[in-house]
Amino acid sequence: MKQNLLTLILCVVFYSLFSCGDNGNDDYIQIPAGLASPVIMNLDSIPYTKLSHYNFFEGDIKNQQPVQGVLPYDLNSSLFTDYALKKRFVWMPEGTKATYVTDGEVLDFPTGTALIKTFYYDNAYPSGTTDIVETRIMIKKADGWIFANYVWNAEMTEAVLTTNSGSKTIKWYQGDYLRTVNYKIPSQAQCASCHTLNNTFVPIGPKPQNLNKNYTYTDSVNNQLYKWMAIGYLNAVPPNIASTADWTDVSLSLDVRARSYLDINCAHCHTTGGSCSYTPMNLAFNKTNIRSNLGICIEPQDFVSGDEQYIIAGQDAEASLMLSKIRTTDPNEMMPLIGRSLIHREGIALIQEWIDTMDAACP
Amino acid sequence: MKQLFTLALFSLACISAGAQTNCDNAPVVTPGIHNVSFAQGSQAPLLMCFNALPGATALGAWYKYIPDNDYSVTLTTNVGGYPLSDTRLNVYSGSCNNFTCVAGDDDSGGSATSLVHFDVVQGTTYYFAFDNIYSSDDFVFNLTEQEFVPSLFTQRAISLQGTKWCIADMNGDYLDDIVAVEGNSVNLLTQNTNGNGFTPVSYQFPAAQNSPTWSISAGDYDKNGYNDLLFGSSGGASIILASSNNTGFSNVLDSPESIFSQRSNFVDINNDGNLDAFVCHDIAPNVYFQNDGNEGFTYHQGGLGDYGSGGNYGSIWIDYDNDGDIDLFIAKCRGGLNEAGIDELHRNNGDGTFTNVAAEAGLADLHQSWSAAWGDYDNDGDMDIMIGNSAGVYGDNSNLPDSLKQHKLMRNNGDGTFTNITSGSGFDTFTSSNLVHVAHDFDNDGYTDVFCGANTIMHNNGDMTFSPIVITAGSGPIGDLNNDGFLDIQNDNYIYLNSPNGNNWIKINLHGVASNRNGIGARIELYGTGQGWEKQIRDVKSGDGFYYMSTLNTHFGIGTLDAIDRVVIKWPSGTVDTIENPAINSALLVTEGTHVLGTKQLNATAFAVYPNPAKEVLNIKSVVSFDTTKASIYSIDGKLVKSATVQDAAIPVQHLAKGTYIIKVQDKSGKQYSATFIKG
Repeated sequence: MKQNLLTLILCVVFYSLFSCGDNGNDDYIQIPAGLASPVIMNLDSIPYTKLSHYNFFEGDIKNQQPVQGVLPYDLNSSLFTDYALKKRFVWMPEGTKATYVTDGEVLDFPTGTALIKTFYYDNAYPSGTTDIVETRIMIKKADGWIFANYVWNAEMTEAVLTTNSGSKTIKWYQGDYLRTVNYKIPSQAQCASCHTLNNTFVPIGPKPQNLNKNYTYTDSVNNQLYKWMAIGYLNAVPPNIASTADWTDVSLSLDVRARSYLDINCAHCHTTGGSCSYTPMNLAFNKTNIRSNLGICIEPQDFVSGDEQYIIAGQDAEASLMLSKIRTTDPNEMMPLIGRSLIHREGIALIQEWIDTMDAACP
Repeated sequence: MKQLFTLALFSLACISAGAQTNCDNAPVVTPGIHNVSFAQGSQAPLLMCFNALPGATALGAWYKYIPDNDYSVTLTTNVGGYPLSDTRLNVYSGSCNNFTCVAGDDDSGGSATSLVHFDVVQGTTYYFAFDNIYSSDDFVFNLTEQEFVPSLFTQRAISLQGTKWCIADMNGDYLDDIVAVEGNSVNLLTQNTNGNGFTPVSYQFPAAQNSPTWSISAGDYDKNGYNDLLFGSSGGASIILASSNNTGFSNVLDSPESIFSQRSNFVDINNDGNLDAFVCHDIAPNVYFQNDGNEGFTYHQGGLGDYGSGGNYGSIWIDYDNDGDIDLFIAKCRGGLNEAGIDELHRNNGDGTFTNVAAEAGLADLHQSWSAAWGDYDNDGDMDIMIGNSAGVYGDNSNLPDSLKQHKLMRNNGDGTFTNITSGSGFDTFTSSNLVHVAHDFDNDGYTDVFCGANTIMHNNGDMTFSPIVITAGSGPIGDLNNDGFLDIQNDNYIYLNSPNGNNWIKINLHGVASNRNGIGARIELYGTGQGWEKQIRDVKSGDGFYYMSTLNTHFGIGTLDAIDRVVIKWPSGTVDTIENPAINSALLVTEGTHVLGTKQLNATAFAVYPNPAKEVLNIKSVVSFDTTKASIYSIDGKLVKSATVQDAAIPVQHLAKGTYIIKVQDKSGKQYSATFIKG
């Protein structure tokens, strides 16, 4: 998935030069000079006790309508968290921007950045309303990222800072099926357990490889990286980004879909510098072009309760430890260890088909 | 003569040309290296002795082996100096038209070669049958014979629903029971009085927030005579309290906040006579429930492993410095070569505080471990450690020094430091990485072995070297499931009964009074002569290795010794019970304070009370001043009956009912003393 960004960059130049004459759906007047973002971000007093104190949203807070400077974004593939839907936003202090590092590393965000992620369910039981559960925020202070998690009240008029874990029973309609989950709200320590790389707290999603996709903004469809550059949230990026894909896009190869799925669901831990780096896998997207990093024909280390011989046994999903790890909800067996209490049936189907149709079996 | 010669020629022709093509013409082989090639028209083996399908159109190569003695045999197609091929092998006994599977393998030899170990009986015919399903290339196999060692364990199926991670006495008879947890019920197989079989019992318990998905421990938290259970899960920990009348479980204590639990332990951290519940936290500082003595607790985090992002996996409580109080070792693990993976040793300062002394002890290594097995492996009177390696050499780990990519054997120098003696110990060549490592004397020879997972007991050779013995059982809880003095293993739906080998033994069952009911934290010393050691030691613990809970009874093997000089119990309260010449090959039940030596036998620095029996006042005789310190008096069933301030080395006892009591006093440095007395 390499997308030629050079064309887009040229577009920026073009628009910069000629956008004055374009009074139509001009996307770039969101942050006109002189109109400051109303977000309140005092790094000495965050995290605030209530979500509304940041002023990220205008109008009824449950509608999640971002104010000036709060930019929605999305990722090519996202972590499975018990079928919760997610809205993501980024905000940076005026006059600051993120810097590209590499395709597969999180952007180097300026101090004061807020990454905002709201977890919710549509079609909630009984009347099909939206049930917002929590809004997780990572804020970059001068000495690094902090976690602030806000749990919404029943009326959905406010969300309150919570440092301990909790749970909430959610019932919603998934198509025609009424489903129930005891949704787990993470503690700060649980946030940190995934968001730690090389002993430092880090975001996971906003890497160029994951952001390189089109997004439908209020008035246009644009590539996210281009958009971020256009509004001054990002410096230049290379023209070609080795990118993850949308794992649900059946028009793409199984291999890129599966590797994208494994990257966003597993590679926060199973990669160099991650907490699980002592296992014989490296599931980061930019490493899984090497087959052995996926665990193909690699013997697992004493974490086997069945008789699976390999982490991935080519052409034999049933004999693959990876499949049994994502297909169980046994707390000491399942992968990931936290973040879900249901199994992800569609993700399992993807991994199963991918393994079963591999080129070769293991010896 | 001519006829014989022709026959011989014919036979020779058979071997060189037509032989090995089917079972009937299989040539006889003896130990050594043999060439194999697949002939057209040969017969493929159809009975598969491992999980595989026969190759319908495959060719086969057949050999016959008739051992001249009982042996343990190894056959491998991975022979140094010869080309390797992708082989498959079945080993049969029986006859050519009626095979019985003995062994079979595809790739265990590495590089797609085959490797089997099996035991053979003298004079029996065994058939080796290869097929060419993966490769038709020529190859060689090497057949070797080793001395036959009888199987140590006999497998038997059990029927019990739930998570079967715990062996502990649950009905107060000191016989080990098998505990399973299924939803809100505890399902038990309680051991019958004669050690012969089990009786199933099932109890419901009130709703608990956590189930034992990461670890389970057992101990008498509420000191009512029946063991309670501690469940560690990824969301928290729960204590399930057993009723005082052996009728099930009446109460549940849940952790007030989230814990990503790993190993958990019942242990009396503040030495107040009540067990506390300690839980290793994977992603934050460790936590514990401090027992309030009234079926409740205060929740604590801090002071016992405070690394911010955790990394705590295998906690184990032992007295490493022989100072009479219990210390904490934590086997730690974390990817990314992160400091969270540095092992910790928390020395008990005797005043309720602990200090991490891992660096000065020589244990502060970034070594990926989920558990450490502590035992006095050289019987020199202090606790040594086998620290298990729980990770392979991958990713960041490949940057570790070689000494930290393997299991570690650390000898206690007796001065608070440890020396790495892994090299040449057998642990340097035992490369399987595992999660569960526990120390027990499985063959009762008087030297503590290490059960390492991977179906391997590292047998202590008595000289600080260890040899692998492959057994049928995988990791699981350990206890004496048939009351024969030999430790058995339970793993999921099977128990593995240890076959007695004639060695003698004793097991010590404790009934704490001023100390916690189980005597957890007690140091038990066994003295004997004639076996190459003078003393063996054990520390009583709840929760070792990882995941599982093993028996609270303390087992000693004593080899061929037919008498024990004495057994000494040093209780956490300070009470010392000494039992002279206890009977061997039986269980010895010791109630705290019932075998205390008279004052004449104590030295001048010790602690004693008089008169005994006492009527009005109990006087303390000691070189230590106890003025204005608190004294606690317990009835023999462990109830605190009186707290008093010591004045002029005396405590009024006139209001106590007649009976036997234990008094416990703490001096100003926090050191505890206790003694038994009778109120007349």
